Amino acid sequence: MSSVLTYVGLSMVLFVIGAVGVCLRRNAIVVFMCIEMMLNAVNLAFVAFSKLHGNLDGQVAVFFVMVIAAAESAIGLAIILSVFRNIESVETTDAGQLKW
Amino acid sequence: MNVISFLIGMTAVVSGICVVGLRNPLFSAFALVVNLLAVAGLYASLDAHFLAVSQVVVYAGAIMVLVLFVLMLLNLKSESGRRLGFVRCATALVVGCMVVMSALPPILAHFSGMSSSTVSDNMMSSVGTVQAIGRELYTKYVAQFELASLVLLIGIVGAVMLAKRKNVELAPRPGGLVGGSK
Repeated sequence: MSSVLTYVGLSMVLFVIGAVGVCLRRNAIVVFMCIEMMLNAVNLAFVAFSKLHGNLDGQVAVFFVMVIAAAESAIGLAIILSVFRNIESVETTDAGQLKW
Repeated sequence: MNVISFLIGMTAVVSGICVVGLRNPLFSAFALVVNLLAVAGLYASLDAHFLAVSQVVVYAGAIMVLVLFVLMLLNLKSESGRRLGFVRCATALVVGCMVVMSALPPILAHFSGMSSSTVSDNMMSSVGTVQAIGRELYTKYVAQFELASLVLLIGIVGAVMLAKRKNVELAPRPGGLVGGSK
């Protein structure tokens, strides 16, 4: 059980690193990568709890998170690409206007 | 948690710090590849074999190739000049820790309320092989599975719609595909 608790602690550390990156970085692609890292941290917690409880529901949840992350990455990168076409930058501070 | 998985976990943490800390987005992307592979190793050490493989294929393969493709396409410069201030870093760290602290009480209550005897006897039945995950997916979660395929379809169509150039000329030029009329 303490082993699983270590995994959950590691997942928390990874989640904090991702959240700090989302707050700190200005490049939208790096922010996107930090969000992916936070998703991975949550997935790790899911797998650890699945191991703790001895059933596979957590691993199925991780599978669905992966599917959503794949769709989200396609949409998110397309949005970043179209923002770059409009304002010639992917810095989050430059994308301040609400209407083009 | 044995020594190898501890080392893999340290690799994940260090590469995660590199994702946030490195200035060049390309280096961040490569550090994220290392991070995702390390998490795949952790899945393998938790007996989630199918997830470890699909982490390597989907995340470290497909998604990171997409991210690197966009990075190369945009031809970005690294975030130069503006250094990250100490106050900004500290604020971000406090915000991140607060996010996690909000999830901490239920987790600790969960662990303290759970006796170790009930855990250890069903520990062996949770090996996430392809067969076991597939049986769960196609019996208990079949509706969600079909819904996930719909989400992927919508994602593909939406990505094409968003990334499409507005005024691209689809009609062929009179000189043919080669075009170079001398």
